[in-house]
Amino acid sequence: MRKHYRYIAVAVAAATIAGIAGCSATDGGDGGGSESGTVTLLMADPQENVQPALDAFAEAYPDITVEYEYVPFDQFNNLIEQRVGGGDDSVDVYAVDSGAVGSLATKGYLVDLTDDFADKVASDSLPATADANTFDGKLWSVPLWTSLQYLYYNKDLLDAAGVAYPSQNLDEAATYQQLLEDSKKVQAAGATWGLLFGQINRYYQLQPLVESAGGGSGVAGDDLLTADINNEGWLSAMDWYSQLFEDGVAPRGIATEQMSALFATGEAAYLVNGPWQIAQNIAEDKVNYGVAANPVWEGGDPAMSTGSWNLGINPATDNLEASKTLIEFLSLTQEGNSAAAEPQGTSPTFNASFDEFVNGLDARDGERTAGLGELTSALLNNTAVNRPNSPGFTQMADVTGRAFEDIRNGQDVKATLDDAQAELQGLWDRLK
Amino acid sequence: MILPNQMGTTRPRRVIVATVAWTVGILFALPLVWMLASSFRTSGDIFSSVYPFNPNILIPRTFTLENYSKLLTGQFGLSVFNSIVVTSITVVVGLFLSAMAAFALAQLKFRGAGIVFAVIVLSFLIPFDAIAVPLANLFRDWGLANSYLGLILPGIANGFAIFVLRQFFLAIPAELAEAARMDGLSWWGIFWQIYLPLSKPALIGAGFTLFLFQWSAYLWPLLIATRPSVMLGPIALTNLATAQEVNFGAIFAGAVLLTIVPLVLLLIFQRHFTASLASTGSKG
Amino acid sequence: MTLLHHKVDREAGAQPASRRRRRGSGVWKVALVFLAPTLLLLLVLRVIPITEAIVASFQRSPSRVAPPRWVGFENYEALLSNGDFAQVLGVTGLFILIIIPFQVISAIFLALLLNERFPGLGIVRAFIFVPVAAPAAVATVVWGVAFQPQGPINAVLEAVGIPGQPFLTSPDQALLAIIILMSWIGVGYWTLFLVAGLQDIPHELYEAASIDGAGWWRSFFSITLPNLRRTLAFIIVADTVASLIAFVPVALLTRGGPADSTRLIMYDAYNNTFVLGDPHLGQAEVTILILVLVAITALQFRLLGREKES
Repeated sequence: MRKHYRYIAVAVAAATIAGIAGCSATDGGDGGGSESGTVTLLMADPQENVQPALDAFAEAYPDITVEYEYVPFDQFNNLIEQRVGGGDDSVDVYAVDSGAVGSLATKGYLVDLTDDFADKVASDSLPATADANTFDGKLWSVPLWTSLQYLYYNKDLLDAAGVAYPSQNLDEAATYQQLLEDSKKVQAAGATWGLLFGQINRYYQLQPLVESAGGGSGVAGDDLLTADINNEGWLSAMDWYSQLFEDGVAPRGIATEQMSALFATGEAAYLVNGPWQIAQNIAEDKVNYGVAANPVWEGGDPAMSTGSWNLGINPATDNLEASKTLIEFLSLTQEGNSAAAEPQGTSPTFNASFDEFVNGLDARDGERTAGLGELTSALLNNTAVNRPNSPGFTQMADVTGRAFEDIRNGQDVKATLDDAQAELQGLWDRLK
Repeated sequence: MILPNQMGTTRPRRVIVATVAWTVGILFALPLVWMLASSFRTSGDIFSSVYPFNPNILIPRTFTLENYSKLLTGQFGLSVFNSIVVTSITVVVGLFLSAMAAFALAQLKFRGAGIVFAVIVLSFLIPFDAIAVPLANLFRDWGLANSYLGLILPGIANGFAIFVLRQFFLAIPAELAEAARMDGLSWWGIFWQIYLPLSKPALIGAGFTLFLFQWSAYLWPLLIATRPSVMLGPIALTNLATAQEVNFGAIFAGAVLLTIVPLVLLLIFQRHFTASLASTGSKG
Repeated sequence: MTLLHHKVDREAGAQPASRRRRRGSGVWKVALVFLAPTLLLLLVLRVIPITEAIVASFQRSPSRVAPPRWVGFENYEALLSNGDFAQVLGVTGLFILIIIPFQVISAIFLALLLNERFPGLGIVRAFIFVPVAAPAAVATVVWGVAFQPQGPINAVLEAVGIPGQPFLTSPDQALLAIIILMSWIGVGYWTLFLVAGLQDIPHELYEAASIDGAGWWRSFFSITLPNLRRTLAFIIVADTVASLIAFVPVALLTRGGPADSTRLIMYDAYNNTFVLGDPHLGQAEVTILILVLVAITALQFRLLGREKES
């Protein structure tokens, strides 16, 4: 799954049907066509998270009404499968998860946007985001938000153990191995837990661990349908992961949702999580934290989770032009993209919006977030690895998710990965 | 006299029985009490207090009404309202239709009654989730998406409710109906004036079945009612858990709100409920 | 009731004459009127979609854009030859073998308890039943927290000197934990059926037994249980159906793990259909499940014996 940022997508503007296309506000391209009618936008965020963006859009394009619908995040991909897959024309624009682009495109659930937007996305959006929306050489969706991960640490707990703070400098980023050792020291000095991951047992969170260890993304082959999740790199990474729980550095049996609460109440020494953690830290007001660079595997290349929601158009839409106008506004204009990112403090993808965003980061929580802007820029521009756009991505996320959970619960690493490999390949064979 | 079907024959025995009963009751109530207590806390407080054993598991360290105030004034409040409306209509209409069908099966002898009965039994053997998707596509084609009607329709045809009512009707002595027929009362009259008034317990029992089905429906509203204006409670509840952050305090508060309605109904109708089911199994 | 009375007056006044004339052959038409709305709804809302679903289980479509093609029993073969499905069947079978006796015996115990006289009877009865009314997803989350290795249950166990248990993180305990969770949610419902059944047993039987000098145990086995036979049979079947189609606890807490030890059939079908995007395989699983359910129900009707034809 991905990280999410909530965006407020408020929509709903009362539009009067005016029939004349005229409003163009967007620079670029022949993307803007007739701008009137109704567009239904389906996302996994509550309306209030998207409201500013929808308000901004309503002002810019009063002739287009946006109807907003949303479903629980857990069910979102399933819903898309049912509705877009069922040819439902009542969905025009919908959120596309990073990693899902390949599978959605293969199944014919997305409109090809290459001609309209490929150039603009390439030149005006963060580099990793352009890749994330590309499959088979074509652009299928436009970026909306992106995510990144920091290494949070509890200053008080580290001080008590005499452990040095991890660095914000990418070249000196803490290694997973070092963190494991240091965690034990901090726990010996009184911390309940050592190193936590925000979205424990999700492919999104653990992909960088595996990639940094040299295991690749797990997807191979030209058709991106050859599984490769039990190679050397995967085995080493998962051995390390298993040890994390075996040695009591991180807890078993606790769900993703609790991880951030554990750190925010001062129970953990380190946490790898996204920027949304800051809001929770501030709300609970119990932890004196610092923010450092994402960890790296000893001797490996840096890698960091990234990617978030993007926007795509349902081929069954009954209002293609207005849909394109909407996604262009939200993704490729500073006004739209900033408004969309603002409510949840997520990272925008449009370059100008991103620069604006980065500049405001240092001040978020005084001392604790000092240097955050530069860190964010450096991380996103250098270490982000996208989830692979395999047509069988959902199967992989499901199979690996269960494998990670089993490994976490103490099952044998090699046996689990071998079984998962077999199961995944079996599922992918059915797709060919 | 004390009959052998009672365990509490002597005073010490009665004390034991009462103690066991209260222990059981408390054990059953604990998870809900925890949920209630947690609805007044922040997420951090909820989880930092569950281990090791300490009184703060149940006694909140922080106390906040924010979870409730945010919920009631937002989308969730509207969803609870929608749930109440949809469920009430489902129960009233569903009872009416189920009772009619049950009456026909129990009292009217006609060819094909067996097949009809089989269809009805079959209908509640089919997991609704298995057919929700094709049904949702059908409803969308018919323009029933995002409407109260679309939400209500699947709930009013409930095979189990029909089954329960039929069993109860079968237990009503046939002579009553015969006498009434002699007097010239129509089948409708017999249904309305004789059977229904006698069936209050079964109606309540069937009503609860209909109520629970609709009140806790999740997959169906997820598929066809995602516009905020028609969203139902359980969906809005799950929407409180977004991809990266789950506000447990709010979720528990929402769950408390969603449980209160059936709880109140239950307390009101308890007594009748048990009497209704008496005739379901034992009298065939 | 008032609403009904209004309708009654209106209807009875409006129709009797015409009904009287058609009494003989009119039963069929009357039956139709009474049954029509429900039958129509059941047909449209249950029978037709399930037929579509069963048909879908004989098809495959790699991509939704292309129309599905007929593949006969291929999906079933894929399922039955797949080691994973054997695991699913095994886990489901074990699950039923444990949960049904557990819940039925618990329900009997609770019903007997509620049949006694003690202060606060109504409150205890409400506590036992309320879990049925709580949203299943939330009940699941609450129990998920309860079962955590560092959670309240272990907190209590350890406070009395018992070592903490892995519960949902161990392949040996996870299924049992799920069973306890589901029983908490559902057993109140069956208990009420039994309470009603107990109250229905004529007191004369017990009086006679008491005169014969029978104590509690004797009368339990010779009077109570036999008279509850039908209620019990009904509960056993209904509970089996309900348990087989439940999947929320597995979907939220264990996702079939650890090590596939909680991979129940309804969860697997749901996972195939909704998560993995292979609805045809999912429908095949569901069809198998329905066949099992039909078989079980047919068995019950047989066992219930020849009483009023059901």
